Amino acid sequence: MDQTTLILALLPILIIQLALMIFALVDLIKNPNPNGPKWMWGIFIVVINIIGPILYFVIGRKNY
Amino acid sequence: MKHFGILMQKEWRENIRNYKIYWIPAIFILLGITEPAVNYFLPQILEASGGLPEGAVFEIPTPTPEQILMAVLQQFQTIGMAVLILAYMATIAGERKSGTATLLYVRPLSFSAYFLSKWVVAAAISLASVWLGFFSGYYYTRLFFGEVEIIKLLQMIGFYSFWVLLILTIVLAASAALPNGGLAAAAAFALYVLLQLADGLLGANWSVSPVKIPQYAATWLTGNPDLPSLWGAVGITVVIILVLFGFGSWISRKNKAKTKV
Repeated sequence: MDQTTLILALLPILIIQLALMIFALVDLIKNPNPNGPKWMWGIFIVVINIIGPILYFVIGRKNY
Repeated sequence: MKHFGILMQKEWRENIRNYKIYWIPAIFILLGITEPAVNYFLPQILEASGGLPEGAVFEIPTPTPEQILMAVLQQFQTIGMAVLILAYMATIAGERKSGTATLLYVRPLSFSAYFLSKWVVAAAISLASVWLGFFSGYYYTRLFFGEVEIIKLLQMIGFYSFWVLLILTIVLAASAALPNGGLAAAAAFALYVLLQLADGLLGANWSVSPVKIPQYAATWLTGNPDLPSLWGAVGITVVIILVLFGFGSWISRKNKAKTKV
């Protein structure tokens, strides 16, 4: 396999990670009352790959 | 059962609004893709992280496609199940706490329909995620490592689905029984670990056990598992799911009074 096909093959990983991050960020911005400071969740979501958005969805949304 | 359709719609909408319908499949697909990709790029990753001394010779055997798919199943067993437990820990307990439940409980409500509606939507989303994860893992395994017959994969996914449903039912029942989502997740995790520990220590003595379903499912890739034990395990799983079902509906009716207004 040459370089371009490889990069194309790995593109979905990047896209899914970005999509998760964007979903989480959009929800965070619209969320009037997150569980904890907003800026902290913002840093979590952007900096920690995959786990950050999951943590936000599970414990940051205060829906439990 | 007229309520069931309406409750289903409510449940479905809730799962869309809290994004579960997007992020749970996304995580399983990621898990499925990363395993073959990391294995394929292992030499480059080792080189880039630069831990090897000059002139070191390292023979990394190329794993077979079957091994890669088994590794994907292992990932689902650890991270995947944790994600499912965390995602659904609050389905009923959280509703009682946030007050949504009061809106439901003041109406004449059949609790079995209530429990069933939650179960059906949660099961649909988690099974779809697990399947999507396996299929994307399968695609990448074929791309990087070689062919595995699709029928083997389908057999594995089919039997593994029973295990996913069992975990899901345990979480939902725990969520109905315990006062909050955190406790429900803790109880489900404890049960999950205990079951696996018990099976690991004493499992040699019996072959029919629900905890062995993932192992049997993985065996489909390389050969045929012991069919009578497998069907026995599936039978026990279905019975446990039905019992937990009855328990969940009963306990959510009993905990009706604990709703916060």
